[in-house]
Amino acid sequence: MIDAKKILAALVLLFAAGIYLYPVFSGLFLMLALIVFGALSHFWHGKELKMLSLGAIILLALFNMGLHGLKFGIDFSGGTRIPVILEQSVPSSMMDEMVSTIKKRASAFGLTEVKVRAVGESQINVEVPSSDPEFIKAVEDVLARQGVYSGVTDGKEAMRGEYILPGTIYRVPSSALRGEDWAVAFSVNREGAEHFAEAVKGKANYPIYMFLDRPNDAIVVATWEELTKNTQLAADKEGLTSAMEECLRLEGNGIELYVYDGELGNITPKTNRTKAVVSKELSETIGADLQARGFQLSVVENEDMAPKFQASEGVEGTIVDEWKAVGLLSSPLLSPSITTGIPNYGYQIGGAAQGTGTAKSQNAYASERKIESILKGGALPVQISIGSKTIVPAPLGEEFLKLSIIGLGLSLVAISLLVSLRYRKVSILLPIIAISISEMVILLSVIGSFTIDLAGMAGIIAAIGVGVDSQIVITDELLKKEGTRDEKLAKAFEIVTTTVTVAVFAMMPLLFSGMVEIIGFAISTILGALLGLLISRPAYAAIVGEIGN
Amino acid sequence: MIPNIYKGEYRLLLIFPLILIAASLYVLPSLKMGVDFRGGTLITLQVSNQPDAAALQSDLLAAGFDANVKLYEGELGRKMEIEVSQTEQMYEADRLKEEFGAQLDKVAQLEAQANENASHAAEYEAEREKLYDIADSMFELVGANTRADLYTNLNGLKNAFNEAYLRMSDLQMEGVMEIVDRHVEYTSRSAMTVSPALSEHFLEQAFNVVILSAILSTILVFFFFRTLVPSLAVLTGAASDVIIAMGGMCVFGIPLTLPSFAALLMLVGFSLDTDVLLTTRLVKRKGDPRENAFDAMKTGMTMSFSAMVAFLVLFAVSMITHIAVYYEISGVALAGLVGDVFATWGLNAVMVLWYKERQSKKVSE
Repeated sequence: MIDAKKILAALVLLFAAGIYLYPVFSGLFLMLALIVFGALSHFWHGKELKMLSLGAIILLALFNMGLHGLKFGIDFSGGTRIPVILEQSVPSSMMDEMVSTIKKRASAFGLTEVKVRAVGESQINVEVPSSDPEFIKAVEDVLARQGVYSGVTDGKEAMRGEYILPGTIYRVPSSALRGEDWAVAFSVNREGAEHFAEAVKGKANYPIYMFLDRPNDAIVVATWEELTKNTQLAADKEGLTSAMEECLRLEGNGIELYVYDGELGNITPKTNRTKAVVSKELSETIGADLQARGFQLSVVENEDMAPKFQASEGVEGTIVDEWKAVGLLSSPLLSPSITTGIPNYGYQIGGAAQGTGTAKSQNAYASERKIESILKGGALPVQISIGSKTIVPAPLGEEFLKLSIIGLGLSLVAISLLVSLRYRKVSILLPIIAISISEMVILLSVIGSFTIDLAGMAGIIAAIGVGVDSQIVITDELLKKEGTRDEKLAKAFEIVTTTVTVAVFAMMPLLFSGMVEIIGFAISTILGALLGLLISRPAYAAIVGEIGN
Repeated sequence: MIPNIYKGEYRLLLIFPLILIAASLYVLPSLKMGVDFRGGTLITLQVSNQPDAAALQSDLLAAGFDANVKLYEGELGRKMEIEVSQTEQMYEADRLKEEFGAQLDKVAQLEAQANENASHAAEYEAEREKLYDIADSMFELVGANTRADLYTNLNGLKNAFNEAYLRMSDLQMEGVMEIVDRHVEYTSRSAMTVSPALSEHFLEQAFNVVILSAILSTILVFFFFRTLVPSLAVLTGAASDVIIAMGGMCVFGIPLTLPSFAALLMLVGFSLDTDVLLTTRLVKRKGDPRENAFDAMKTGMTMSFSAMVAFLVLFAVSMITHIAVYYEISGVALAGLVGDVFATWGLNAVMVLWYKERQSKKVSE
């Protein structure tokens, strides 16, 4: 018995630590705790232990609520729902990818409270907890932004996204590879082929700097330390500087590099829209100064400011391979066969992968995906557009929430009244009410760690009414005259187990249907049923069974 | 105390559920599909004047919009819901979009091949013409002042086409709002559009869910009872309940939407609960079956009432807030819970009792 208590205490601490350390998974931890304690309370026969298990779950639920609070959908918190419409329907794996890309896009702009979820096969809903029109406009712009690919060789734009024929970019299957570990192929139209042939003529083994959204009319301001974080060759100041300047060079639209050494000197913007690309860190020191000089600030993450260099030197010296601050993502070298000046319509970009075995194939896959997404103008595999949005004003949402919570309380009171009318015995009534309240707390905590939307709230209110059912079944069995207490309990549990199993399985398909609007309802209904079977019912039987004797 | 309804000729109890089921089946064809399953646009307005909903609706109809206007007075101000079906043009635009996507891929591949090898040129030209025709139909549909053959670059054509498609849904919205603005002053407006493709997807998903859920429940019920008649009785009870709930939806004008669909599915679970309770007590217990049935009914009715109470509260909240999700879920659940009382204790109970009594007769013979 002492051992069981120790196990219980250890488990509570373990789950609490999980909830504390990984807020994202707190809901899952709670569900896991529910299953673990539920299973244990079926094996542990002591009344005290069953009660303790229930107590442990409630404690964890309250801990989670207190620590992370409850998350509400925009129907309650107020905000805007923006539907992102995909140009065509996509398979679910691609959909997951798109959802995570859109999430990344939104979070890159500091929009951490944004919820992104797939609706069907051709729509993604983005929910923003704000109804400020300007802010929403900014979000829409971020979402709808389709990247522009451009490939630069020796200061000339050789390739452009619009030259690539739509739908012709594909990853070359490994059976068709000739020597490389991975390759991406694509076709270009006539104009593109001719332009490219002209631009790269005689530039064999030059790099083609592949940019996604290369900034127009911009300068880069960074310290030498920032620029050389990724290289051991920092001593070769001249070589590195010329490599960096080389990749920024473009006829008519070059990006100038200023190495900041404590003085800004006399740099001035070329136009009133010239952007200054700076790291977050440096912008704190010189951001205001740059703005005062008329620059528009374009602040990038600190680690994106450091270019990565290619391991081996090219024909013209060191080559910058990647520099996220300016959108440079890869710098493959031009094969001599395409620099003869004769137009080519099909191209292939490939390379060697690092590592061995699985690591190698993963590396190859990652490289392929990267090139593919650059060519496609961003990681989104299909084009998107923004649909008409739903706005819930915050005061209205608050009112909805207030009334819904009143409803939750009312339904508890009404059910208590009903149960007291039926049984007219405080010793039965109190445990039923206590368990209903605990069920509500656990449900709110679990669902609130994901999102409580309208359907979820309806499900929680319903779960109180349906959740009390098993208690009623057990009470009625225990009130019967014939049979011992254990026999009666066994009979009651047989019914409860059957009904809960059937109810859960009937709802299960809804959970996996991907119809996000009603998943909240499905989860609360299923969880409400499971909660009873796993925790409250054993505990309840323990309390009432004692009284019934 | 309530007398035991299963004393005497209990088969007469069948009358109530059968009447309810027949009535439900009779009204069932009038079940309305909501925006989720039918496609269309749902516009919600917080209204600040005293608009004439009927006049607005007839104006919208006259302009060719199949619209349904509802005005709610509530604690939280006046609210108007305008449901507009997908117009023919929108269907057409969706169809063109699908066609265009497929044709564009084909033409792009052919362009690549034709560039490499001139023998593909003729085929390429022909398919490209088809692509232009599709794009021109779209441009014409939205009244865009452009022609497909102005775009030599396929990416350019693709962008122009997508712009035109988006313009289509904007046009429809503008058309509706122009009429609405004449009638209504509002402080906030939101719109939810379900495209034909999305509504089709929802229908398909819902269908799959129903089938899967039916199969799972059937397997489980047979697994638990392992005898034909009681299992059939349980499943009949659940099915009748759903039919009665759908009848209720027709009578109360609740459309089939995602929330009401979810509520129907929950009813299957709930109705199986009471059916399983009854059948377990009758089939697996000793003693007078009629007493057992009546006993089970006491328990089952308490269960049903407690669920009804919760949904009544939800219904009350929906009346104050006009939250459609609440209204649809609670309305369907209440209709189904009432239906469940009749289906379980009138239909299922009679079936199992009859089976049980015949069985015990056989044993005593």
